[in-house]
Amino acid sequence: MTGGNATGRAHGHACLVYDDPAALHARTVEQVGLGLAAGEQVWLVGPEDPDAVARRLAAVPGFADARRHGAVRLFRVDEAYRRDEVVDPGSQVRAYVRATTEALAAGHTGLRVLAEATDLVRTPAQRDAFARYEHRVDHWIRHHPMTAVCAYDRRVLGDAAIAELACLHPETNADVLFRLHAGDDDAAVALAGELDPTDECLFAAALERAEPSPVAGRLVFDATDLRFVDHRALLLLREYAHRHGAVAVLRTHRPAPARLVELLGLTDLRVEVVR
Amino acid sequence: MRTGAAAGHVGYFHEAILYDSDDHLLAVVLPFLLGGVEAGEPTVVGLGGRGAEVVRRALPTGAEVTFLSGADVYSRPTAAIRAYREMLTGHVAAGATQIRIVGELPPVVFGATWDWWARYESAINHAYDDFPLWSMCAYDRRVTPPHVLTDVTRTHPRIARPDGSHEPTGVYTDPASYLAECRPAPLDPLQHTAPVVELVDPTPARAREAVRAADAGLLPPDGVDDLVMAVSEVVCNALRHGTPPVRMRLWCASDRIVVAVHDRGPGPKDPYAGLLPAGDGTEGGLGLWISHQSCDHVTHHRDADGFTIRLTAGNAHVPV
Repeated sequence: MTGGNATGRAHGHACLVYDDPAALHARTVEQVGLGLAAGEQVWLVGPEDPDAVARRLAAVPGFADARRHGAVRLFRVDEAYRRDEVVDPGSQVRAYVRATTEALAAGHTGLRVLAEATDLVRTPAQRDAFARYEHRVDHWIRHHPMTAVCAYDRRVLGDAAIAELACLHPETNADVLFRLHAGDDDAAVALAGELDPTDECLFAAALERAEPSPVAGRLVFDATDLRFVDHRALLLLREYAHRHGAVAVLRTHRPAPARLVELLGLTDLRVEVVR
Repeated sequence: MRTGAAAGHVGYFHEAILYDSDDHLLAVVLPFLLGGVEAGEPTVVGLGGRGAEVVRRALPTGAEVTFLSGADVYSRPTAAIRAYREMLTGHVAAGATQIRIVGELPPVVFGATWDWWARYESAINHAYDDFPLWSMCAYDRRVTPPHVLTDVTRTHPRIARPDGSHEPTGVYTDPASYLAECRPAPLDPLQHTAPVVELVDPTPARAREAVRAADAGLLPPDGVDDLVMAVSEVVCNALRHGTPPVRMRLWCASDRIVVAVHDRGPGPKDPYAGLLPAGDGTEGGLGLWISHQSCDHVTHHRDADGFTIRLTAGNAHVPV
């Protein structure tokens, strides 16, 4: 998943969409190898019985030892996530904050998680809550020694449901036009890819779920990886910021949005063109 | 109180000057401008290089007349409407009871791009009717082609003459009717060649990518971003409001990129589509309006086969 659908400055939070369990297995093997080589603690979370997963991974060099010493831990999905119908975003993020801290305390260099979360996002209400969690944990991952691969089964969920979650990852193999993820410095969130009418509803939902908060009356969107933005998306950003008592600031490499803002006379949407 | 020939008129008083000498031009324009100055009305000249000089020399020193740069004002019709409406709004807010403007389109627009300027001349009868504006559009008969003069008389209610008369052109056509007519624009010669891209029912993203790939550095970066924006909007409109299939074709030359988007529907119903922002943003009106300001030429073409919108970025003034 280092292909086209990744932000230039992606951190370690990826969304893997798969149709073939072999693709998930290959990614699992890769994550175990990367984690052990880097001295990280590896969590493998999924719907299956841990022993069944362990049997499949037995041939991975170092796996059995690592599992014995706690460098690789296997969980059923309902052990790692609190699942009372829908996930509670706040407590779920706190669980990974604690897990990261404990991994570091145990001498690991960080925490690497691969979670097959299909069972947690089957209904619209579950997806809404989980999408909110995905974005909150994305902020933690961006700034702390944790990485995560969130895997979803397309055969079960379908493209539309997966898009709701995939667009909240800096990196994905899903067919989504844009991605909204944690930003740096004063940027509340970062936007990547392209925003046009075909993903207008998806973007509106992602923005509401991410709930970026203004700082000192400014809501800064880092759009330096956003290749295209149309007037509808600009109006949406402006409206969201206005509703939160702030001025929207779009930070971009391209002057085109600034021309659009000028044409439309959007005085309360600022475009900062950075090199 | 409005003064001069437009006294008592409500809204836009739109006239043409069809001149054949500098003396003819000055005989109409000088009294018009000086009358405005005398009445304390904002008085504006938007003539091209030579015309502006002729008028400037003839005006008394210190006359309170504003000279606009004609080339800047008249680069794209929709931008001209936007700029003039902003200027007029400002004058009215400052208390003006009438604004006088004499303008002249540069002769280069009488060629391949005349169709959108004909639409402009018609649409402004509506677009400037919110303002107490008296304007004269000067056309030099010696360089204006006959088909352009025909459009000028159909889009201007009156002609101002050197004898001080302001006579109806007699063939003036209401803009809603004029703009609804089928007015085929000449084909760009590139359209007689095979397109370098041909897509059927492309997603807007696919259409944008095709423009970026075809550009390969041909246009300046801002120019290609603007064309990408315009193509995206017209493809969205065709997919949403048109009748399938939507066909996008693209041609490249060393100085321009031409994109035509066709669907089998009748095209936008709004006669002012592209020239004025659609009030409520429905039917893609805002996107079309943005496209008209992001490209160097936009044509609308209707026939039995459907509706085609053609966008040109780069040199639109090609021999046709």
